[in-house]
Amino acid sequence: MTYLSRAGALALAMGLTGLSSPALADFWSDAGANYQGVVLRGVTESTPPSNYIKDVLAPQFEAATGIKVEIETTSWDQMYDKAIKDMEAGTGIYDMVYIEQDIIYAYLARNFLVDITQALADKPELKAPTFDEGKFTSFANYFKDANGHLFGVPMEAFIKLYLYRKDLFEDPAIQAAFKEKTGRDLKPATTHEEYTAIADFFTEYGKENGLELWGSTAQAHTGHPASWYEFFESVAPTFGVWNWGIDANNNYAATVANGGKMNSDEAKAALKWWLHLRDVGPPESAQSTWTEVATTFAAGRAAQGLVYGENAAWIASDPNQSKVVGKVGFALPPTAPGVMEAAEAGTGYIGYYDGGAFGVPVTSKNREAALLFLQFIGQDEVQADWAVAAPRITNTATYDDPKIAEMDAKLGGYYTMLRDQGRLFAGAPPYPFHAQLRGALEPIFFDILTGKIGPDEGLDAMAAKTEEELTALGYRK
Amino acid sequence: MRLKRTGFGWLLLSPTLLLLGLFGVFPFLYVVWVSFHEWNPFAANPEKVFNWANNYRALVFDRGFLASLGVTLAFVFFAVSSQVILGYLLAQAFMRDFPGKAFFRTIHTLPLIMAPIIVGSVWKLMTTPSIGIIPYLLRNTVGFDLNIGTSALAAFVITVIMDVWHWTPLVTLSLIAALVSLPPDPFEQAQIDGADRWQIFRHITLPMIAPALIATVFIRLMDAMRTVDEVLMLTGGGPGSATRFLGVHIFKEVFPRTNYGYGSAVSVIVLYLTIVVCWLLYVGLIAPRTTRR
Repeated sequence: MTYLSRAGALALAMGLTGLSSPALADFWSDAGANYQGVVLRGVTESTPPSNYIKDVLAPQFEAATGIKVEIETTSWDQMYDKAIKDMEAGTGIYDMVYIEQDIIYAYLARNFLVDITQALADKPELKAPTFDEGKFTSFANYFKDANGHLFGVPMEAFIKLYLYRKDLFEDPAIQAAFKEKTGRDLKPATTHEEYTAIADFFTEYGKENGLELWGSTAQAHTGHPASWYEFFESVAPTFGVWNWGIDANNNYAATVANGGKMNSDEAKAALKWWLHLRDVGPPESAQSTWTEVATTFAAGRAAQGLVYGENAAWIASDPNQSKVVGKVGFALPPTAPGVMEAAEAGTGYIGYYDGGAFGVPVTSKNREAALLFLQFIGQDEVQADWAVAAPRITNTATYDDPKIAEMDAKLGGYYTMLRDQGRLFAGAPPYPFHAQLRGALEPIFFDILTGKIGPDEGLDAMAAKTEEELTALGYRK
Repeated sequence: MRLKRTGFGWLLLSPTLLLLGLFGVFPFLYVVWVSFHEWNPFAANPEKVFNWANNYRALVFDRGFLASLGVTLAFVFFAVSSQVILGYLLAQAFMRDFPGKAFFRTIHTLPLIMAPIIVGSVWKLMTTPSIGIIPYLLRNTVGFDLNIGTSALAAFVITVIMDVWHWTPLVTLSLIAALVSLPPDPFEQAQIDGADRWQIFRHITLPMIAPALIATVFIRLMDAMRTVDEVLMLTGGGPGSATRFLGVHIFKEVFPRTNYGYGSAVSVIVLYLTIVVCWLLYVGLIAPRTTRR
């Protein structure tokens, strides 16, 4: 290419940039012109993706539109408390609320949220040219109603994966010791028996060698819902107990006697398996929520574990927070026979697809300005940097960005796994009574964890309590 | 003239009465009203349904509530009595002169200015087996493995210690104020008459500081009965229900479960119980003194 043609190409590129950028910039400034002086208020859980919204996207939106945005980041339960009370009382304090995947059904049942698809169709002048609902990953389906209308703009999505210490699994001396002790090759487990053998081996290995190392993490807090979630959304599904063992199509049956699976043999085997892992896990397991499990793994105290994806990324890549950077391998959770096949066929799943979206409460006093903000954070243009800063992917185009490809290599293929095998995982079941039922069952579940009642007896009691509670709530007839 | 003065008095009082009515009386009456309803906004029927006193009747047979009540009363007894004893000893210590007294008196009040949620977080960090200084010290000094995630007794004891750490300075400050206001004459007279330290404490100090002491006990008792934030952060009410105090129980009923009707009934009963316990204390400690006079 000659100098002249290079200069021509440069001039053409500059010209196109000059033509296209103002067009995009103009939309946001034009759309924002009608809402000058508006202050949007949002409430969300304090997580890396939410903090990125608060620290980066909100200021960018303000600069582009002139609409001020205040994002309140708080704890998970405080966030729900504030959002639900605001929407319930109709006070209209918040213009945007975080919707975790498992509460969307409750919000939809109460008509708490604005139908984003419909609202943008009704006011086409609000529709940003760079926002396209079709570009979201299939995770967005969790935030749609039966008509396919979107009620929340997905802002984070993760799968809960099986993490293992590559450096330990690939150490020849450890491999030999494992082979001698178990007669098996040391490799990431694909069955529960293999996983248990590895867990037992490393706990013993840590003890023998005076190391602060245990065989597995366990999110087994004896007073926090995190333990309940780990069992019902990550462990029980790998034994073929899906949707918490409740059959919504059979009058919300939970007991085996009525057609449910909450106290089935599979559920009981799953609970015993998990309680054993808790027993051979680090001593902090009984006080561990999702956060502590991540810090335990990042501190190098566990050889393997099931870890939420939002934490898996920083564990594998951030040397400021993790001692195991470059030593982490990712695999699918171990499963019982037939479970993987069911997941492949779409009739079951092998673990939890976690995440959330931003929605607009119908009580918002600044609904239109809030819709602009939601579109702003849903555009492809902001996704790559967001995914690098706080690993999460909700738009299909993000996977192809060079920054993400580079990040994927650092994370040992986590994003590739999310893209290719995310379909094997599932979000929480579509029940509008998540917290209500969980709250009713927790006392029994915590009694199982403390050994006050046995796992078999405890699951029988939980299944019976489930049917009693759902009858009281009016869902079970 | 009298009427005019009275009217002016009411005018001056009206902002306070208005605020009290808005933020005290009205919410309380609303809670009482809700307690007579079945109301869960995430039930199949999200509307309030009047159900007479069914929530109160259910309370009597609710094993979770009764267990929570028992553990709360134990917590209140151990926490408040420890705070009173320690608070008095510290107050007496601060009545004497020693090097660095002003510094220590300032330092010892610092827990008071900490938000309960922060106190809970700090104690959680200090008691987590992997990183906490308390399990570390106990393991390396007496060989005891502290794990408040598995031991109900350890969790209960730690919540009491945390509350004592947080609130003893309040008792100390109240008692210092009471002690400095005591006239010296009765003490000098008692010493001349040959009374020993215990007799002086029993017959002079204690009766004279009793009003301040009892007021402080009432304040602490009412606070301890409704402890939530610290415990929720430290143990979440666990292990199991070992530290599921009434405040935590109400929180879990009202917030995650959105069981507004039943949760309101529990709140009303807790208020009633607090009044009863304070009344019993009043009858036991103050009324006899008044009668003697």
